[in-house]
Amino acid sequence: MSALTLDDRAAGAHVAVADPSNWNRIKQLDRIGLFITVMTVVVAVFWAFPIYWALVTSFKPEQDVVRPGIELWPERFTFEAYTFTLFQTKIGIWYLNSIVTSLVVTFLVITMSAAAGYAISQLEFPGRKLLWWLILASFMIPIPALIVNHFVLMSQFKLINTWAGVILPQLIAPVTVMIYKQFFDSVPKDFREAAVIDGATELQLLFRLYLPMNWGITTALSIIAFIGAWNQFLWPFLVTTSENMFNVTVGITQVTDAFGVKYARQLATAILAGLPVALIYLIFQRKVTQAIMLTAGIKG
Amino acid sequence: MASVELKNISKRYGSVQVISNLDLFVEEGSFCALLGPSGCGKSTLLRMIAGLEAITEGQAFIGGNEVTNTPPAKRRVAMVFQSYALYPHLTVRGNICFSMSLAGMPKAAQNERADQVAKMLQLEPLMERRPAQLSGGQRQRVAIGRALVRDPEVFLFDEPLSNLDALLRVQMRLELAKLHQDLKTTMIYVTHDQVEAMTLADKIVVLDKGRISQAGTPLELYNFPANRFVASFIGSPAMNFLPATAESVNGETMKVNFAGDTSMTLQTRNSGSPAGSNKLEVGIRPEHVHLVDPDSSQTTIKGKTTIVEQLGNTTFVYVDTPSGPMIVEGDGSLQIAPGTNVGLQFEPKRAHVFGADGMVI
Repeated sequence: MSALTLDDRAAGAHVAVADPSNWNRIKQLDRIGLFITVMTVVVAVFWAFPIYWALVTSFKPEQDVVRPGIELWPERFTFEAYTFTLFQTKIGIWYLNSIVTSLVVTFLVITMSAAAGYAISQLEFPGRKLLWWLILASFMIPIPALIVNHFVLMSQFKLINTWAGVILPQLIAPVTVMIYKQFFDSVPKDFREAAVIDGATELQLLFRLYLPMNWGITTALSIIAFIGAWNQFLWPFLVTTSENMFNVTVGITQVTDAFGVKYARQLATAILAGLPVALIYLIFQRKVTQAIMLTAGIKG
Repeated sequence: MASVELKNISKRYGSVQVISNLDLFVEEGSFCALLGPSGCGKSTLLRMIAGLEAITEGQAFIGGNEVTNTPPAKRRVAMVFQSYALYPHLTVRGNICFSMSLAGMPKAAQNERADQVAKMLQLEPLMERRPAQLSGGQRQRVAIGRALVRDPEVFLFDEPLSNLDALLRVQMRLELAKLHQDLKTTMIYVTHDQVEAMTLADKIVVLDKGRISQAGTPLELYNFPANRFVASFIGSPAMNFLPATAESVNGETMKVNFAGDTSMTLQTRNSGSPAGSNKLEVGIRPEHVHLVDPDSSQTTIKGKTTIVEQLGNTTFVYVDTPSGPMIVEGDGSLQIAPGTNVGLQFEPKRAHVFGADGMVI
């Protein structure tokens, strides 16, 4: 009986393929697929071209860079821009500043957002809803709109040219709070109650239950927070004036000399600045994609 | 082990009254089942004992100490949830050790205790697995292990078997019964399954709309239901109910008339006379009704068979009577065809008379 059914299916499939209208449909789908693929490749090339251009330019001698005309492949290769950036600038200190500020920002943003998300999601206290609305409202204010206030505040606290001055204004992360709240809301309450009966305090509930149960989201948010902090330019550029306190992104502006802008050096520094982030992205590609989807409001 | 006492307990969510002025005493070492349909407040009551729900009014005592406002962790209770609530990021060992770890117990002592519990529940080969790698029955045992390790005074079970398949449910039921025999700890068990309640508990509390409908031993509830609700809820298949009218009351006996000009004399249990109206219902369990010759003098009521279900050890015969449909339980060898005219004989001492207010007369 089953063999008959299989035969029937095979015969059905054969008939389906042999049907000319189906052939036309398949061909049409193939053409649409091909068009989409070509378009995707074109967009990808378009998007990747500036990176390619920066990379290629960073290996050119400065005279070749400013030469008229488009030179897609360097006529002469040189590491001059890289050797200059690596050995004649304070890029080591800039890297250190970037690493310290980005790690501290990541740690504090994640810890505070998780705690805030947990409190809003799980605790009952007066003003909880108001607090939640305030956090939602703060999401609508672009951070650059507050940058003058931040500068005045940091100046009054005498935090200009300090790591704390770079870090503090970057701790405003309503999106992270919202994502944590959303995830903590979805944890079945039985887990919480079982842990409460087991004797867990609120802090133990957060750090031993809710955070470990949502480890994936914490990893994803940490990566995106780190990348965000590493790529910060405007605020570190404003709050640091001493070369010893620059982040690597701000350092890019310092590789000029008395004769003006040096494009190859700037692009070499930019590539060196972006290298750690690119490596992190390559290692944690899936988690980063998940984080981007989350911040776009799609729960992965 | 400790006794559990609730005095005049009420629970309200806004204007919705879930539990109303409820008094309950569970003796130490007993196995008490809270039984009732969905929404009757049985889980709320259990959660109030656990401390997971605040008590709106009244007092709760565990082991004679008032715990009305005591946090759950300090009540010396352990709870097994319907969903098991095993922490998914921890292994079986991690789950069992969780409470000890929170309390700051040394690792070696935690492992020793966890191993003892694992041995008792045959969890030893599963200790390093995560909950997702366990079957339903294994998860259930881990949940019990996690409760056991706390050495509680009272075990609270919230429908712990309802997620298991029928076969596993029977197995776990036996394991729970054995566990209670071994530990002799007070256990309070919430279920809507009367078979679980009847087989496990030595005291059943039937709840209806946030009130205790009846409390007693399983057989008390089965044989002497206090009201129509308990009579209908306990027993499978459910009790037959036939509308009737009281003709005469003579001391502890009452003559009742059924539709179709038939009557019988029954023994009453309480006052012997219906309150207010003489509209009654006579309840009789399927096993207390017997098929007889319709023309026999033993016939209480006549009817015609509609469906016959033969289960091997027993046979259920569905009979249409002038008073409504009835179920008769016969032995497994009973042979009868649908559409047969039959006489039904009631065991008068096993029939229950319920007044218009639903209370037994």
